Amino acid sequence: MTHHRDIGAGPPDEYVEAEIQRLLVEDPAVAEQGITVVRRERALVLYGEVESPHRREEILRLVSERFPDVPVTSDIGVIRAQAPTEIEQLP
Amino acid sequence: MVIRIAAVGDVHLDEDVVGRFRPALEELPECADVLLLAGDLTRHGTEAEARCVAEEFGGLAVPVVTVLGNHDHQCDQVPQVVKVLEDAGITVLEGNGVVLDCAGGRLGIAGVKGFGGGFAGRCASDFGEPEMKAFVRTTTDSADRLGAALRSLDCDMLVALTHYSPVPDTLAGEPLEIYPFLGSYQLGQAIDSAPTALAVHGHAHAGTERGTTPGGVRVRNVAHPVIKQAYSVFHVGDQLDTDQVSPIGQSGSQRSWS
Repeated sequence: MTHHRDIGAGPPDEYVEAEIQRLLVEDPAVAEQGITVVRRERALVLYGEVESPHRREEILRLVSERFPDVPVTSDIGVIRAQAPTEIEQLP
Repeated sequence: MVIRIAAVGDVHLDEDVVGRFRPALEELPECADVLLLAGDLTRHGTEAEARCVAEEFGGLAVPVVTVLGNHDHQCDQVPQVVKVLEDAGITVLEGNGVVLDCAGGRLGIAGVKGFGGGFAGRCASDFGEPEMKAFVRTTTDSADRLGAALRSLDCDMLVALTHYSPVPDTLAGEPLEIYPFLGSYQLGQAIDSAPTALAVHGHAHAGTERGTTPGGVRVRNVAHPVIKQAYSVFHVGDQLDTDQVSPIGQSGSQRSWS
């Protein structure tokens, strides 16, 4: 992964977005391919779903460690794992 | 003849997830003849994570059949992962098939992980740099093995199990730009080369549940983030009757989706 030099206000948002996406896939502590990074006016928002609350915390910890100056908010859910209540019939 | 198929993919197990699926899995004998796992059982494909899968999905009262996913290849420990799963009684398919005797008939399941490449008219070609040719040939080889496995099975009902998607339909919701990394039309072509009744895949976490191949075979994306439940259940057969649909578990519904 390319690391940016600190020039002025830092790297353009689009590169930050790309770096976060790759970080979340390639860092062994996370390895999540299903997280979407969306740029909003005031912050980067992370969307997606993971298998445990622990993984959600790891994602936020990793991103805030790597980009301490970037405001990040999270809307990551934990996927439900209950038994189904309906079936699908396929004639 | 009705065969009851439960399926889920992309469960990405590690120690922090063990136990989450088990209560729902214990209900399986009441509602399914078999459980299919559509790959990405682990986070990184380590032997330790495979043991978590074995603990969660092993020792069930129904047969469990799986393919591996791209995550299960990450740490290059595929032989160890497969051994741990097989030791737990889980059948791992890759270019081959299995026939199970179910109450409703003989269910044949052929499986491969599959690979990317994209879909008709917008796909990668076997041309140019060695890396590009290797990419496309990996998919071609996988699809060829899936087709051969499907055509080789002697059974009453045929199901194709992959990790990557055989159709673009079930990718709806994913960015169009990454479709070539999510599946290939060649897998669909393989599925259509045999009298397949149902194709099940995972991999596309932001995709949608339902699609069909150009040949009319029903395709279901059962990635856990898509189905948002421990598994989906499909009753496949030619004598379905809504009165035959039994409740699932304590909170089951007697109504089908379609």
